[in-house]
Amino acid sequence: MSTQIEEGSTTAAPAASTNGTIVLQVFRGDQTGGREERFEVPAQEGMVVLDAVHYIQAHYANDLACRWNCKAAKCGSCSAEINGRPRLMCKTRVDEFVNEEIHVAPMRTFPLIKDLVTDVSWNYQVNKRIPPFRPPENHPVPYRMQQEDVERLYEYRKCIECFLCQDVCHILRDHDEKSLYFGPRYMVRMAALEMHPLDTRHRTGLLHGAAGVGMCNITKCCQEVCPEHIKITDNAIIPLKERVASDYYDPVAKLIRRVRPKREPEGTDDTSASGDGAPEGVGTTRPPQRFAVKDVVRLKSGDKPFARIGSVRQDGKLEVWVLKMRGTQQHWKGPKVINTGDVTNNYGPLDEVGIGSKLFEQQLMEHEEHAD
Amino acid sequence: MTESFTTLTTDVLVIGAGGAGMRAAIEAATTGARVDVVCKSLLGKAHTVMAEGGIAAALGNVDPEDNWQVHFQDTMRGGQMINNWRMAQLHAQESPDRVYELETYGALFDRTPDGRIMQRPFGAHTYRRLCHVGDRTGLEMIRTLQDRVVALGIDVHMEWTLTRLLKEQDRVVGAVGYNRVDGSFVVFRAKAVILATGGWGRIFKVTSNSWEGTGDGVGMGFEAGAEVLDPEMVQFHPTGMVWPPGVRGILVTEAVRGEGGYLKNSEGKRFMLEYDPKKKELSSRDVVARSIYKEVQAGRGTPHGGAWLDVTHLGAEKIKKKLPSMYEQFLRLADIDITSAPMEVAPTIHYAMGGLRVEAETGQTTLAGLFAAGEVAAGLHGSNRLGGNSLSDLLVFGRRAGAAAASYQRDVGLGKLDDEQIVEEQQTLLRPLTGDGNENPYLLQQALQQAMQEGAGIARDEKGLKQSLEAVLELQQRAARIHVPGSRRYNPGWHTARDLRFMLTIAECIVRAAIERRESRGAHWRLDYLEKDPKLGKVNFIAYNDQGTVKLKQRPVPEMPAELARLFGEEPTKTTPPEKTSKQPPAKRVPA
Repeated sequence: MSTQIEEGSTTAAPAASTNGTIVLQVFRGDQTGGREERFEVPAQEGMVVLDAVHYIQAHYANDLACRWNCKAAKCGSCSAEINGRPRLMCKTRVDEFVNEEIHVAPMRTFPLIKDLVTDVSWNYQVNKRIPPFRPPENHPVPYRMQQEDVERLYEYRKCIECFLCQDVCHILRDHDEKSLYFGPRYMVRMAALEMHPLDTRHRTGLLHGAAGVGMCNITKCCQEVCPEHIKITDNAIIPLKERVASDYYDPVAKLIRRVRPKREPEGTDDTSASGDGAPEGVGTTRPPQRFAVKDVVRLKSGDKPFARIGSVRQDGKLEVWVLKMRGTQQHWKGPKVINTGDVTNNYGPLDEVGIGSKLFEQQLMEHEEHAD
Repeated sequence: MTESFTTLTTDVLVIGAGGAGMRAAIEAATTGARVDVVCKSLLGKAHTVMAEGGIAAALGNVDPEDNWQVHFQDTMRGGQMINNWRMAQLHAQESPDRVYELETYGALFDRTPDGRIMQRPFGAHTYRRLCHVGDRTGLEMIRTLQDRVVALGIDVHMEWTLTRLLKEQDRVVGAVGYNRVDGSFVVFRAKAVILATGGWGRIFKVTSNSWEGTGDGVGMGFEAGAEVLDPEMVQFHPTGMVWPPGVRGILVTEAVRGEGGYLKNSEGKRFMLEYDPKKKELSSRDVVARSIYKEVQAGRGTPHGGAWLDVTHLGAEKIKKKLPSMYEQFLRLADIDITSAPMEVAPTIHYAMGGLRVEAETGQTTLAGLFAAGEVAAGLHGSNRLGGNSLSDLLVFGRRAGAAAASYQRDVGLGKLDDEQIVEEQQTLLRPLTGDGNENPYLLQQALQQAMQEGAGIARDEKGLKQSLEAVLELQQRAARIHVPGSRRYNPGWHTARDLRFMLTIAECIVRAAIERRESRGAHWRLDYLEKDPKLGKVNFIAYNDQGTVKLKQRPVPEMPAELARLFGEEPTKTTPPEKTSKQPPAKRVPA
């Protein structure tokens, strides 16, 4: 079993280096300015970046600031940007970097305190604005819940609050729109609350408003960096967008939600007729949908792509432009004619949903007439 | 010269925001008291997140025969009868309610087919008793409590370190410390103070503890005059990672064995079948840790001096479902896919059974106005803690300390702060930055860890302990000459300098008590006194501060009332732990 390890050790110097040393370029400085400092650290088998930073602290720079706690990827303290990528230092092996120096920098989205430490308090402020779990009044304790109902939430509950998703989210990072969007971490938290089998609150108003779920345009950067492998966009943000869409843009579903208790539409399984796999947020009991130009919809086919409605034809079919992703680049391919039955969900007008706010930067056909 | 400082006034000051601190804060806040929580890290990062296996509570969901009496007996037997029986009783009686309460805060646990909380077997628990969520129970618990703290609007001061309790005569009336971010000084004036600072695993080299486990609460309490109970009782968790070197000591949850993992030596033999044929891999932690140690000593260790922990027979699906974070941890940090290869494990310092002596009902220490809960407090676990009893300890005694502190503060006014004490502490804190010393705090800490690991580790004897004591005393001298470069702004070297002083004090308590306990009991294993001494089985050691020096005294173990003592039948002395009284129904185990 040790064969896997030996492979790394035969080269003696796992990282960018000579003579069994690793070269690190660590950012040092505070809000008044800073620069990278070069350190050489003796290589050790299985070493992670945090080990190297600790070595530097002990031997070269006692006052080098970094956060860490568990050193086992369970607490989410040691977030940093390593060679430009947001990662946990305790989970990043130095032998990943063959023949290159390791650059360690603080998270860029948050104000710098010193060296590798940033002021992440904004996240804690945001968290306070989310209405907490509220079980039904006088619900008998101990609770009875089914394994499959709680298991659905495990993915969200795995979050270790490393804030790497917040760091990489371009709404927060590049546009600094911290007043408009709570960020991926808190979409995950709200998804967990919204889907808790015994929670009684509605948070779609908040999501639609201050939390700004519509700001996310599904570039999926957050789920790429998540050290817990939470599919943040697919399994938290999109289902929340769907909830918001049905509450705000789908009058029938909105009415149903008002009239019937929150949990019923998705909890009862006697209505799951369509059989298209796992229910997504709003569930499978979709009322007939209305379509308008500029609506963003999700298609049933294959990997369930998003599409934008170009026109609604006389025969009731839809002409759509399908969203394609090339890395983080979006483009819209089409037009393609589909049946209304091919649509699983209508998110409402493009602008409101915020899906592809970048759309306007791209060459799109404009349709003026509303066929409705 | 007085440095400036900010003063905050509160009813209940909670130091530490792990499970115990947050549970205490929640309880105190719900009574209407003003509560301030101070923590060294960001909120939600406390060492509680590292608890993986589960919360022990006799719900009887899986094994209906379970009840608090059995849990109580398991806890007392595990601790080799030097536990505080009243704490063990309260703990066993109240933990079910504390677990159910967590669910009302929004926690989620694995379920039984009929929708109740699932329970898994664990070392030395007679029945399947640990409520769990895969292998990330601690995270679930801390996030749940954190959400509750936020929902109640409790003020949390993140990245602040308090380093000295302020006293008015014999009563604790506040604390002083610093803001880690900008290095400014802070003073709390509080009617009651709750210590919930966790353990001191960082005193040792190979440990599962995070940097925060420096024993601040015990150190502060000791310096203020509180008594430290059972300091010699330090738990080795049998299974820590061994290889590669960078991960040495990181915890491999007992749930691995709870779910049916085997321990094997280099010859592929399941050696626990010999050391404890009845409980096998799920024997108590002290027994399993010693067995691994003995195998290694006998030349049957793994390449890096440990044992194999094998789960490959469980099948990949179960492993990924029940032990997801272990799977990820080994894959990522050790290049090992545990679904097809065994883990290499060795004992790692995990938990301090010892700590501040507290009253069972209230968590009050021997000082007025000072309460303690969780790992910082002592008594519940005796000489060895059972897996899963820690999380329930945090909940049960966190709540009790919170309630007691809240009721105490209603009857007292704010105390008077003594500026002299504040100035004194500021000077102590500043010395490493301003003094002309030349010692490196990190290297001193490493030297301490090395000395304690060698002389006061899993296998102890008089000679080794005395060597450790000498090393500790010498390091105490050197620590006075620590120098740290840089400013007070987020300076970990500076922070380490103060932490180290607590660690050195506690190290001295540990070693002195370990020398005096001339017997083997629970986690305390003396190669020169291999047997239990019935006389020492009736006493606890207490370390206390006698004008700046560590003194030791004995205190009789509190005597159990007859109706509880009766549960044990013949007192299980001089026999090996596996023996069970015939009164108990046989344990039900999941198929191994």
